[in-house]
Amino acid sequence: LCRGGLAERLCRLQNRERSAISFWRHQCISDDKIPSDKSGVLIVKILEIFEECTIQVAICQQLEQSPAMLSPEDAVINAEEPILKVLFTRETAVHLKSRPQDVIHIYPPWQKLLLQNADVPVIMNTYFSQKVLLSEHSEAREKTYGLTKMLIKKNIISLAQTFRLDDLDDKLHRESSDNQVPCAPQTHNNGDSKQHPSALSAVNDSLLEMVESQGAVGWREVQVRVVIQRVYCLPAREGYRSHTQGSKALGATLVANADPPSVRLCLLVQDAYGMFSEVQLQSLSSTDDIERYCRSWEGKSCCLAGMKILQRTTRGRALGLFSLIDSLWPPVVPVKVPGQSQDSEMMTTNLPPPSFCYILTVQSGEIHVEVDEEEQISNLYQPPAVHGLNEILRSDGCNERCSFWAQVLYRRLQSKQSIPIDQREMLLFVTDSTLQNVVLGIPKVVAVSVTASCVLSMEITEALSAGSRLVFFKDALWGNGRIICVERTVLLLQKPLLCSAAGADLSELTGPVRLDELDSTTQANSICALRGTVVGVNESTAFSWPTCNRCGNGKLELYPQDRELLYCNQCSEVVTTPVLKMQLEVFLSCPSRSQSTVKVKVWHEISMALFALLTMLLFLQTYEVQSVLGKEVGLLNCYVHSVTSHPNCVALEEIVLL
Amino acid sequence: STLPAVAEELLREIKKAFQETSEVPDELLLGLKFIFGPSAVPALDLVDQRSVTRVRAPSGRTLYQVLGSSGKLYTCYSSCHFCTCPAFGFSVLQKSESLLCKHILAVYLSQAMGACQELAVSEEQLTNILLAEEEDEG
Repeated sequence: LCRGGLAERLCRLQNRERSAISFWRHQCISDDKIPSDKSGVLIVKILEIFEECTIQVAICQQLEQSPAMLSPEDAVINAEEPILKVLFTRETAVHLKSRPQDVIHIYPPWQKLLLQNADVPVIMNTYFSQKVLLSEHSEAREKTYGLTKMLIKKNIISLAQTFRLDDLDDKLHRESSDNQVPCAPQTHNNGDSKQHPSALSAVNDSLLEMVESQGAVGWREVQVRVVIQRVYCLPAREGYRSHTQGSKALGATLVANADPPSVRLCLLVQDAYGMFSEVQLQSLSSTDDIERYCRSWEGKSCCLAGMKILQRTTRGRALGLFSLIDSLWPPVVPVKVPGQSQDSEMMTTNLPPPSFCYILTVQSGEIHVEVDEEEQISNLYQPPAVHGLNEILRSDGCNERCSFWAQVLYRRLQSKQSIPIDQREMLLFVTDSTLQNVVLGIPKVVAVSVTASCVLSMEITEALSAGSRLVFFKDALWGNGRIICVERTVLLLQKPLLCSAAGADLSELTGPVRLDELDSTTQANSICALRGTVVGVNESTAFSWPTCNRCGNGKLELYPQDRELLYCNQCSEVVTTPVLKMQLEVFLSCPSRSQSTVKVKVWHEISMALFALLTMLLFLQTYEVQSVLGKEVGLLNCYVHSVTSHPNCVALEEIVLL
Repeated sequence: STLPAVAEELLREIKKAFQETSEVPDELLLGLKFIFGPSAVPALDLVDQRSVTRVRAPSGRTLYQVLGSSGKLYTCYSSCHFCTCPAFGFSVLQKSESLLCKHILAVYLSQAMGACQELAVSEEQLTNILLAEEEDEG
């Protein structure tokens, strides 16, 4: 039974009641006379008895005073005496062996219940009942009756008769008082503890204590007060398997399966002792709320109750989680020392970083987290430390979490078409003013790899495909010269409200963005700018093809009904204004990287009405290579596909920055 | 019959007391024990553990699912007193010894105290829940 729950309370009450009953009965037998205390005693005369389930219902008349005072002749039914329905449990009924005309004394505590549409009050909890024998004459009668079995009518209750608990008035309230699953945690925001039964105990401040008391009676009611350090989403199901597969798993691509990925909202919380825990809340149907939760919840205190332990994980097995914990260590305010009393003065910041962490989840889909959004930010909260990209690139750390605010210039998705766009790994090329304004030594643009395990909101995905955006990368990983976004990294469109901006520049970039020019240090999978002279054309790569103007499908077909029209089977519609894509590979001579053969795939798109398309295709067939040779190609933005040393060749593709 | 009206009134009092004070007074708990006997404590335990879910389909059709102590999920109807648990079949249907089983009582108590979980499902899913019960017994 739940400690402090209603069931436990009733058990206690019931035990007490039972002892009282047996004590009272024993007393009645031994005293052998009516107890003198008359206050609260109900005196009734049974008129009729029937049974419903195991309850005996006695229609009675309430008597003013004990009939022992009156002579048998006076004990006539007085029509003016009130009628009562007295209920007896089977056990009491067996004890009483009552029959019509019997007089029963019912001692307190009994309860009276007034029914809504009935005049006759009902008397319950009639455990302390005693039959009163009027005279010796009755005693003899009693003995005789005791031998013959009395048949009591039993009413069968219809199952069709259900109980209606609501009046018309509170029908409206009934809908809102039930908890909703799945439910936006908003409904619990104002600390509305009325939603929960009153069984929750006092608030604790130790996660470890809560975890250690798991399974013990009443652990469910233990509430722990914690600070929400981070809010993020984890892909459900795949979330933990990647971490247990060893250190290689960090940044590994999780290939999504065909099912729509479900995503769980998670909190990284810290208690007053500095201990961390990851709490996995409900699945989110839409990832759009991530930004909202981050803004309203991070830094606030909350109470956790009824948590279930999913896992106890250690540093070696959950590198990603611990890299986030390490970024929050040591705590910014002194924390309590375990083993000392709650009010102890012993606080410290000098503790070793945590080596284990509990991962908790909520019971059966219900939210056991109450966040008071009105509250102030806790002192224990460590907002993400935002740094300029040049500082991050120069830091020595390995697998450290870093946060920065940058402009996304170009996005490159992994090419597997079978995986939906929002689950693909992608490369984002970003820059900020710290990189743009520096002259030497540091690249102007840095590639940020976003793995499929980093959950992106729809908002972000759309923003990234639409145009150049400033994005806040919260808790990305930096290591081995690369920045990667993995699980627990959150991409946000708005600047963080609070962040320790240690020299970070959150301003917008002024002026046009400059890319590094192609040179001997240029590596594959980067972007650069180049200029040069066309020295050759790879005619075999000259290609033009129509694409669908709606979805970009490059494999259009001829429309069966009218073979002059083009048809896109991804949109299932005729394409009336296809976009003509033309590509060509040219060889350039670039002074900045003169030793290499530079091969650039250039392309062009023209949107056209169909008749013009045919004209254009005819025209293209007749272009001359000669007219292109020797032409100067001015600063072209490109993506570097590959760089090989033997042969010394750089293969690039012209790109358009966002 | 008297007992259903008494039971209903008792549950209404519990609901009223809970809405007003977020507490259920001792007398009402003892009243539950008096009327429902051995089902009272287990039913309250089910409520403490939030084991009751109201399942609703778009048409408005509802039923209740109660997670029993054994981990088994029982279905209780909304339109009449029926539960798929064996105790219901025995105590209520066969012997007419009880008004309700602990699961149905837990449903009412959860309603009274706002402790029902809510689950929205499709029409088909609701039908399947109902049909699944039939198959088991068949």
